[in-house]
Amino acid sequence: MSKSIYFQLDARQTRLNAMIDALRAPCYALCITMAGFSAIARESGFDFMMALITSLGVWGMPGQVAFASLYSAGATLVIIFVAVSLANMRMLLMVISAADMMHLKSHHLPVWKRVFWMQFLAITAWAHLGFAQQKYPSHLLLPYYQGFSLTIFTFGILGTAMGFFLTDLLPLELLRMVIFVTPIYILLLIVNARHKANRLAVVFGGTLSPLLYPFVGEWAILLAGFIGGTLASLYGRFIAKWHREPVA
Amino acid sequence: MEDYSFCESWLAVLCAILGTMIWRVAGVMLASRIPAEGPIMGWVNTMAYALVAAVLLLIFVHPIGVLATTKLDQRVIGLAAGLLMMFITRRLILSLFCGVSAFALAIELI
Repeated sequence: MSKSIYFQLDARQTRLNAMIDALRAPCYALCITMAGFSAIARESGFDFMMALITSLGVWGMPGQVAFASLYSAGATLVIIFVAVSLANMRMLLMVISAADMMHLKSHHLPVWKRVFWMQFLAITAWAHLGFAQQKYPSHLLLPYYQGFSLTIFTFGILGTAMGFFLTDLLPLELLRMVIFVTPIYILLLIVNARHKANRLAVVFGGTLSPLLYPFVGEWAILLAGFIGGTLASLYGRFIAKWHREPVA
Repeated sequence: MEDYSFCESWLAVLCAILGTMIWRVAGVMLASRIPAEGPIMGWVNTMAYALVAAVLLLIFVHPIGVLATTKLDQRVIGLAAGLLMMFITRRLILSLFCGVSAFALAIELI
């Protein structure tokens, strides 16, 4: 029925549809989220260009937030590299999953182009790709992704640029709220993870980290991630046997 | 707390960019070779989720800067309201709005 409408679209129309989907809500949330990051970055001692280049080059909130807080703590470059890699490790799985959804192989793009397009992948674009998969035929998912991810990327970068100056523009009461948006937004996304083992990992990791912090400082993040993730994985696999749960 | 020099600051940015880019490049390389499901992938995934949650909860409990001017109770109320709305409605933007509003109210009233 309505599905056939989407099958008749060409790549250009699909990109436009994706842009409209992005403009409905997610791009504004991302704009505020990135403004929140930028404000955190500024407080952590970033200058404007550093904040902008970090958003452009990293484009992964948890890693960016980890980077800013480690930077303000004066962490070594090695710890920054390891922590950002670990915080953005989910990129690996999202890229593999997105490439699979889009049948990227069938588009015969050179490696640099595939990496280029994956640079715009973040949790929002990935989640929406999964949503669009139910409507659009697989050969149109790459154009859909391009339209969607570029739109939210643009808003994210705009947010980064504006957020840096919000500390001057906004009163403290409003600024506190803007900064609060960032962590709560990501947390709401991850507690809603599709797999139970991942939701359990969020609970374990989130509980362990503040508990470990008084003893090991910044290492609490890595330790909580490793212990919490391992426990959740083992529990899901051997006790609850969640690994057999069907992928809905 | 130590300060970074100009070069060190940009090296730190480069580290953050490379730290993310390695996964994107590895993902592109692996995408055509391995299935996304399996025990190792599951483990890596749970670790990533736990790690992100660890980063965020540390921000809630031991914040820096502007958020540090609020009380733990206020942040917990905002967080709890957002999570509660998420569990009830499953609507992201609404829950976000609810959490931030509760946080704002808590600042006003507590």
